[in-house]
Amino acid sequence: MNNTYDVIIIGGGATGAGIARDCSLRGIKALLLERSDISTGATGRNHGLLHSGARYAVTDHESAVECIRENKKKKKIAAHCVEETDGLFISLPEDGLEYQSVFVEACRRAGIRADVIDPKEALRLEPSANPALVGAVRVPDGVVDPFRLTSSNILDARMHGAEIRTYTEVMELLREQDRIIGVRAYDHHKHCDEKFYARVVVNAGGIWGHGIAAKAGITVNMLPAKGALLIFGHRVNNLVLNRCRKPADADILVPGDTISLIGTTSSKVPYDQIDNMIITPDEVDLLLREGQKLAPQLATTRILRAYAGVRPLVASDDDPSGRTVSRGIVLLDHATRDGMEGFITITGGKLMTYRLMAEWATDLICKKIGNNEKCRTAETPLPGSTESREEVDRKMRSKPVVQRRSSISRHGDLAVKIDSRTSIQNSLVCECEEVSIGEVEYALENLEVNNLVDLRRRTRVGMGTCQGELCACRAAGLMGHRNPVCARKAKEDLVSFLNERWKGMAPIAWGDTLRESEYMTWVYESVCGLSDEENRAAK
Amino acid sequence: MRFDTVIIGGGLAGMACGIRLAQAGQRCAIVSQGQSAIHFSSGSFDLLGRLPGGEAVSDPVAGMAALAECCPSHPYAVIGAENCARYAQEAPGLLREAGIRVAGDCRRNHFRITPMGKAKATWLSIDGYLTTPQVGEFPFKSVCIVNIEGFLDFYPEFIAEELRKYNIECRFGSFNHPDLEQIRRNPSEMRSANIARVFDHDANLEALAEALRQQATGCDALILPALIGINRNDSLEYLRERVGLPIYLLPTLPPSIPGIRAQQALQHRFRALGGEYFLGDSVLSSEIEQGRVARIFTANHGNIPFEARRFVLATGSFFSKGLVATFDRIVEPVFGADTVSRPSRSEWYTLHFFDRHEYQAFGVRTDNRLRVVKEGAVLENLYAVGAGLAGFHPVQEGCGAGVSLLSALHVAEQILKD
Repeated sequence: MNNTYDVIIIGGGATGAGIARDCSLRGIKALLLERSDISTGATGRNHGLLHSGARYAVTDHESAVECIRENKKKKKIAAHCVEETDGLFISLPEDGLEYQSVFVEACRRAGIRADVIDPKEALRLEPSANPALVGAVRVPDGVVDPFRLTSSNILDARMHGAEIRTYTEVMELLREQDRIIGVRAYDHHKHCDEKFYARVVVNAGGIWGHGIAAKAGITVNMLPAKGALLIFGHRVNNLVLNRCRKPADADILVPGDTISLIGTTSSKVPYDQIDNMIITPDEVDLLLREGQKLAPQLATTRILRAYAGVRPLVASDDDPSGRTVSRGIVLLDHATRDGMEGFITITGGKLMTYRLMAEWATDLICKKIGNNEKCRTAETPLPGSTESREEVDRKMRSKPVVQRRSSISRHGDLAVKIDSRTSIQNSLVCECEEVSIGEVEYALENLEVNNLVDLRRRTRVGMGTCQGELCACRAAGLMGHRNPVCARKAKEDLVSFLNERWKGMAPIAWGDTLRESEYMTWVYESVCGLSDEENRAAK
Repeated sequence: MRFDTVIIGGGLAGMACGIRLAQAGQRCAIVSQGQSAIHFSSGSFDLLGRLPGGEAVSDPVAGMAALAECCPSHPYAVIGAENCARYAQEAPGLLREAGIRVAGDCRRNHFRITPMGKAKATWLSIDGYLTTPQVGEFPFKSVCIVNIEGFLDFYPEFIAEELRKYNIECRFGSFNHPDLEQIRRNPSEMRSANIARVFDHDANLEALAEALRQQATGCDALILPALIGINRNDSLEYLRERVGLPIYLLPTLPPSIPGIRAQQALQHRFRALGGEYFLGDSVLSSEIEQGRVARIFTANHGNIPFEARRFVLATGSFFSKGLVATFDRIVEPVFGADTVSRPSRSEWYTLHFFDRHEYQAFGVRTDNRLRVVKEGAVLENLYAVGAGLAGFHPVQEGCGAGVSLLSALHVAEQILKD
């Protein structure tokens, strides 16, 4: 039967995508179900920091060790998703220098290179850093693009036979006595239920995993912790900036592509609010105030957008009060824990350790289904990272230089697949992020794009300074042009995209952001005559 | 430099005010930073499409009278219903005298068709643009919608999707030309103004006519993106004649060719009437003496002041930087005038993009003669016009152009009466 698999993975974040890839590389027939698009949960809503582990060195040795190991592996297998920037842990006068020696010692114990450098040297390396700094330690922190990373895992999983179904939401875990035998899922595009069967069902739903486990009558005590971040309109720093003190709110500034990110706050939220993240003015104030201590120029840098993710912290099984939480990886075999066969939960952890989480989960799946293949994800490069940037660049010499650079950074060696034979294909849809028509077409054809927000995650269309001012409309036009039957859907989609962007802009809508918003209102509501009446009616 | 009146801002409101004053013989100057909201014009001028509660307006004059009752702080209410009706009769003449060929009736809205094919109620539309007397009453049964190949700011499929709801048969056509290939060499150049310049050449216009004639066979009419005639007036008539079919234009995403043309026409008219137009200049500071603006200083003129008996603030709202939102308040940057706004940022907007957001109605505080208030006191000789006024939602109410034109005429009349 074609709805039967070895394993069903619930959740299209980095972990789920990693498991799908690991399984398919080991010859396990996998189906991944995601209720929305890939990377829409915590995976796409964090710093994008390629931790060296230094941040955890003092407080959580085990996590620090995992981080530095995965850090080194990612630089090899996901080179096109990673930027090796290095990071600085700076001590400000108010922090003092006592923590620095504790910190350096802890890093060394965890196997993390940590070089104490002179404050002058630190400012030479990172001119945006607060000039008042009294000490600095250089560590191998970096930047990782979680969208690219997840998308690449998905691509590879599919190339090796996995089936990926986005916009398909698991409604029920199908049970036969003490065994989960499959799931009933709702297809949000076809508007129908479908049943899928497998020997093992993996709950990789992040914070939503709490609700998924509950469908099997199983309690996984998760504590939703909201973390808010701000994105700045240009790249302020080149090295990751951290405060050299006990980890606290808003003390990491991460560069990424054309922007910088400050984060995060940390606050507990009720479970029923996890789909409804609103950034408060207090959070914005805190992020700005603390951010300026790392890099004073943030005070005058334009903020593009605010957003929040929810970390899946898991309370220890032996502490019902939920006070003892682990940031480490939590793998639960519900057969041994709850007497429910065929069902496992993988959670906790972080983006940094997604591959290790996938390895652990897949090892357990293998044990359950009697597969003896070894994990290969630690050394097999992801699609996009099989050739060096220089090599890819040479193959693409005929393309305009900035576009070539942008598309290679987004797609790695797969950039050669972007059709650029005609001048029309080379025309830009999005000027801020240098996205060409050819790249949009490539994404539409190969990267499972269902709507404009999906497209943004694959290509960065609408992510730049203008936040989709005109490029959203252009991309909608291209999608409508490819499939004229769906012109109405493309228009509704544009409305959803604008609503989605506005949610991130509203918390910080003053100055130029408010200018752009007013302009967008004129263009879309007045000139184009769009309204969300149709979308509201549809709901 | 001494003038009767100095107007700060060269958008629709500033221009209209300047033209009216210059017509009356005033020595008038306009200081303009260059870009204004006209650059994203739709090819039409809206007077009033909806009341603040959302009710559709079919007779704008009646609608303005209703507004005067229900919304006393709306600029139309401040100007007064009778005055509004009078200015609404006058305004089309002002535009036509400037060479902007508009048609429409302030007692009855018609509908403009947007680049997405939607119908929006409007007052005056420029000749050649597709309009309908009622929603869905198109002047054709079948139409060929032609785009320029590689032009991304116009959406034939979206337009067809709307037109088909009214049983209009839609076909698509496209046009390409070697001169367009030149533009495409630079990947970000396929934008409206660059393409429009290509069609200012006779030979290219002729090639377009030829292609249109072939593609439109069997259709009643053609729809084109508004990409023709940026520097000449006869392009559309020429095409219509050569093709032998009605041709209708639809606006594109910005920059808007009808907007650029309207801007040029108004500027030309103002200068022809003896007005002095300082383009690319901006006001840096002002001096206020005894409750009156005495002089202003600009970036390009250093310590040479602009002096005048009266000043008009026509600097627009946020987009044109006539209003600036800081972290916690709304500032009018030229004179530091008082503004009408809400104290808490969370009251400025809702979380839904298409909602009516309060910030859109923020603006400069004025008295009932549209004189600007600073620190609680009226500045005797400083008037405000246009988008920077408070108390209205230009987009939701479909009254942006109307408020600009009517407030400009009203202030001109105040100045001339004094």
